[in-house]
Amino acid sequence: MGFNTGIKVLIVDDYNTMLRIMRNLLRQIGVEAVEDASNGEEALRMSRLNPPDLIISDWNMQPMTGLELLQKVRADERLKRTPFIMVTAESKTENVIAAKQAGVSNYIVKPFNADTLRAKIDGVLCAGH
Amino acid sequence: MTTTARSAAAPATLQLGNANDFLDRVISKLDALDNTQKLPLMSVLRYLSDYIHATRRELRALRCEADGGKLLTSSASELEEVVSETENATGNIMSAAETIEVIATRLDKQTAEELTAAVTRIYEASAFQDITGQRITKVMGAIDQVENRIDTLLRFCNTEAEATPKPKKTTPLVNGPQLQKMANTQDDIDRLFASINGPP
Repeated sequence: MGFNTGIKVLIVDDYNTMLRIMRNLLRQIGVEAVEDASNGEEALRMSRLNPPDLIISDWNMQPMTGLELLQKVRADERLKRTPFIMVTAESKTENVIAAKQAGVSNYIVKPFNADTLRAKIDGVLCAGH
Repeated sequence: MTTTARSAAAPATLQLGNANDFLDRVISKLDALDNTQKLPLMSVLRYLSDYIHATRRELRALRCEADGGKLLTSSASELEEVVSETENATGNIMSAAETIEVIATRLDKQTAEELTAAVTRIYEASAFQDITGQRITKVMGAIDQVENRIDTLLRFCNTEAEATPKPKKTTPLVNGPQLQKMANTQDDIDRLFASINGPP
């Protein structure tokens, strides 16, 4: 694993179970500084107050979807370079295209395993996004 | 216009319920006429009237079923319960797994690693609750739409008593999980992702 596990990660999902799974999987790969938000609006507010080193977000949430959050993050001068991984059950081609064009750093389709999560985080952080 | 035709005149706005009454009146007036040529026409009109009666009956049955309640509404509530119960069960499974993970730190290295690997698989598998929850929400949205359409049909049939408008529910934002046999895998997504240009 090549990335610094001392990073601060913001996870965003409207399912409490998924936040808990993500938190546990991140802890298992050594990432302890994890904050969570249950929708895009909350995540954006938290990010502006205390910018994270990485955002891992679901797509389907209200108010403010993961895609809208990504667009706001990329439009924000202070946050625009923050690595952003979309983790979603939306596996349709048009969703992947929309996310990539909005500037997503990588895309994980649910259900995923710990190895995929680790590899994507590694790839995104080591690529210097 | 004859007396018979005037008294059987259709209302300006013809609903299915009115149409039924109108047909029955026409049949009754025709029946009173002393003309054998009326018989084929009466037979067709009776068929139409019976058909409309049966359609209205079927629609009412669709809307008012199951223990005197609403079949579709109660099915949607059952599904909501499924989501809630699986969420609770998943929470309990996760708590047990977290406890195992803590206990594993007190054991020898190899056993601890084996237990942690097993716990990781439990965490990964627990994501089922998110996926099934999204799928069930899609089904609930579909039930909601069917119910609203039945209500519209019932209003058209002039049986408003059974057609109680229900509050609109929030529908899922996008499509939710695709069916497994049609969905892109992570490998498909990775290939696709690599082939798309990012923002300009």
